[in-house]
Amino acid sequence: MYNNVVSEVFNKFINNTISCLRFNFRAVGRSTGKHSSGRGELSDAKTFIDFLINEKKIEKIFICGYSYGAAIGCSVVNYSNILIGYVAISFPWDFMGLKYKKLSQTDKPKLFIQGNKDEIARYEKFQEHYNFYDDPKDFKIIQGADHFYWGYEHSVADEVFKFYRSIV
Amino acid sequence: MVEIEKFFINNNDIKLEAEFFHSHSDRISAVLVLHPHPQFLGV
Repeated sequence: MYNNVVSEVFNKFINNTISCLRFNFRAVGRSTGKHSSGRGELSDAKTFIDFLINEKKIEKIFICGYSYGAAIGCSVVNYSNILIGYVAISFPWDFMGLKYKKLSQTDKPKLFIQGNKDEIARYEKFQEHYNFYDDPKDFKIIQGADHFYWGYEHSVADEVFKFYRSIV
Repeated sequence: MVEIEKFFINNNDIKLEAEFFHSHSDRISAVLVLHPHPQFLGV
């Protein structure tokens, strides 16, 4: 259950007394099952959305995904009206394919965070992908950061939190 | 002290590991944070 970026974001919300859930996809950590190249992972994300709605009586859910988690998390944004928007950190459009780009299209607020040294979710292609999305949308470029954001976690978490505050 | 609930949820016989912090000051809003995948790009 550890990743430097996710942990910084998770702790940022907890430290500001905002409810926050994180989970391991199937086949990760102590989660069972096998990696299913997206199909099952979309179902995993929906399972936790249902849990928050039905078990915890949550009425507004904000999504924040990083890398693969961005592709999956942002792709379920239209699953429920209770989902109010998302932040995508280094959305790996070129690796995940058009399906996830289309699924993550929404008229809900969205923020894309991108490192200008990212060679996995390639910075050179960022503007082209960003232009695909409808408003409302915004982006933040983290200068000097690659895909892993070592040393930039705090900046990322601050941007995520500011965006959350702007829409909740 | 912050209380974080650690638990598993079943999704079609697959056990998914999770952590949840439920705020006492706002019970109805929540953030869902999604990890990268270690089998994907070595992240």
